[in-house]
Amino acid sequence: MLRMALPTGRTLKQAAPLLEKAGYAPVESLSETRKLLVPSKCGRLEYLLVKPVDTPLYIEQGVAEVGICGKDVLMEVGADLLEPLDLGISRCRMVVAGRPEIERRLDNLLSPVRVASKFPRVAQNHFRKKGTPCTVFKLSGSVEIGAVLGLSHYIVDIVETGTTLKENGLVVHEEIAECSARLAVNRAAWYARLAELRELLSNLKQAVEGD
Amino acid sequence: MPGDARQLSFPPGTELVFGPQAARRQFISERIAAVFRGWGFTEIILPAFDSAETFAEAGEETELYHLVDREGRRLTLRADFTLIAAKALALELRREPRQIRASYEGRVYRFAPSGHGHRVEQSQRGLEWLNARGAVYDAAALMMVRESLEAVGAGDAITVVGHAGFIHAVLGEAGRRERRLYEALDHKNPSRIQQLCQRVGLDAGTAALLEALPLLTGGPEVFTAARAFKLSPPADAALAELEGLYALLRDAGAADRVLIDLGEVRRSDYYSGFMFQIYHESVGEELGGGGRYDRLFDRFDMDVPAVGFGFNLARLAEAASQGGFAPATPERLDEKEGSAALKRIHAMRSQGKPVQLEGGA
Repeated sequence: MLRMALPTGRTLKQAAPLLEKAGYAPVESLSETRKLLVPSKCGRLEYLLVKPVDTPLYIEQGVAEVGICGKDVLMEVGADLLEPLDLGISRCRMVVAGRPEIERRLDNLLSPVRVASKFPRVAQNHFRKKGTPCTVFKLSGSVEIGAVLGLSHYIVDIVETGTTLKENGLVVHEEIAECSARLAVNRAAWYARLAELRELLSNLKQAVEGD
Repeated sequence: MPGDARQLSFPPGTELVFGPQAARRQFISERIAAVFRGWGFTEIILPAFDSAETFAEAGEETELYHLVDREGRRLTLRADFTLIAAKALALELRREPRQIRASYEGRVYRFAPSGHGHRVEQSQRGLEWLNARGAVYDAAALMMVRESLEAVGAGDAITVVGHAGFIHAVLGEAGRRERRLYEALDHKNPSRIQQLCQRVGLDAGTAALLEALPLLTGGPEVFTAARAFKLSPPADAALAELEGLYALLRDAGAADRVLIDLGEVRRSDYYSGFMFQIYHESVGEELGGGGRYDRLFDRFDMDVPAVGFGFNLARLAEAASQGGFAPATPERLDEKEGSAALKRIHAMRSQGKPVQLEGGA
């Protein structure tokens, strides 16, 4: 039996029907249960329910052989995992956003750019690649307010529709990456459990492409 | 003595092992050393630091540990064994060209971000086989890996073999320039591979093969699967070389628990021929790895075909079963017995038997 780490919340809601379609329906509803370990009806998988940001760690350390992770989380955590399948769910964009007029002002700034984000590592890497010095503030939520009230020049965050940005008078200045949920696999498990993982991969691929 | 335990702790990533775990580590290290000796390897003891240029290829600048000596020279803590061993042995080979079998043990230092359980200090035991030309040495190295794993009770580990020449040939000049393609291949991410192939402008045939590489893992059937694609002559030659290596191993009865992975790219810039990683189900990361690096001595204007590999001892200890490791029970003697105890100890030790003189706190 393979253990699959699943992130609770938004991604789980979209992943559950996909897993069911692929033949791995859980014995009880994953979004309602309070258990952390739930087997699939077929007995080939055991689901491990964890916080989204923790999923890569569980897989990287081999506690779960496989899991579903948002690309945004994978980028932030920097986990060394295999990503053999894009599940095409939980689609969003990782962007640099801020007030519309901010970009022009930054041309004249030699002091570091201030950036607020739930993804400090992504933010730091992005600005470093551009050669822009930056100070990153790690926030846990309501990141938009950082840019609205002037805590930071920019925010780095994920956007789905852009409604929240618009309502707060912010615009997207740059796109860092397109994100979606991925099937992530532990490196050692890929080789040690090759047959089982290939079967899982192929079933999930069919379920994804069948849409 | 400071009262606060915080003052007694070591920086994150340092390696500190004591007690039974240390005894186990030593057992493992000695077992592997014995295998290496059995194959005619002798020990090389290498400096813990050298001038920065020796390790320039060992990692990103930010991953290395630099220090400045009293004369203002910039030095780097040993970040890799092969690079420093090559430098040391180049001198020896200039003096007397011959085959060299050298094994080493020690630590390498590379920065690792905290939070992933990675260590900055990593203990390795490995070997360098210099002037070892041809597939017979590739197969011999893999046989030594297998023997070492079995000697420490990790015989169920898997050796995953790929070929640097194959990857380079398939990528072609344009593909090799795109570092992100290596990353995408390393993460076995077909959608990203597809995206990058388009961006680089690789032809459809090459792109199809690159996208298929993540799944070209398995037994000898992957050779057939790869041949279904149109291969360039150098890619075909590399594949044939790998196939030949697999046949050698099979004929020697050493192909069990060997997997072929044509999509393997880890450190492919370092290797010129076959390359491998060792994995065990119980440990998330590789237990070690190695391969062939025939161009390594180019920098010294020397042509020295070489193979080498190393084990990460901490991870190997995690994977190794407890079997075979049974420290002898010592005879215990109390310090209060004084000279009687020492007399007894002298008798026991002259027969080589274990003792333990006890007392104290």
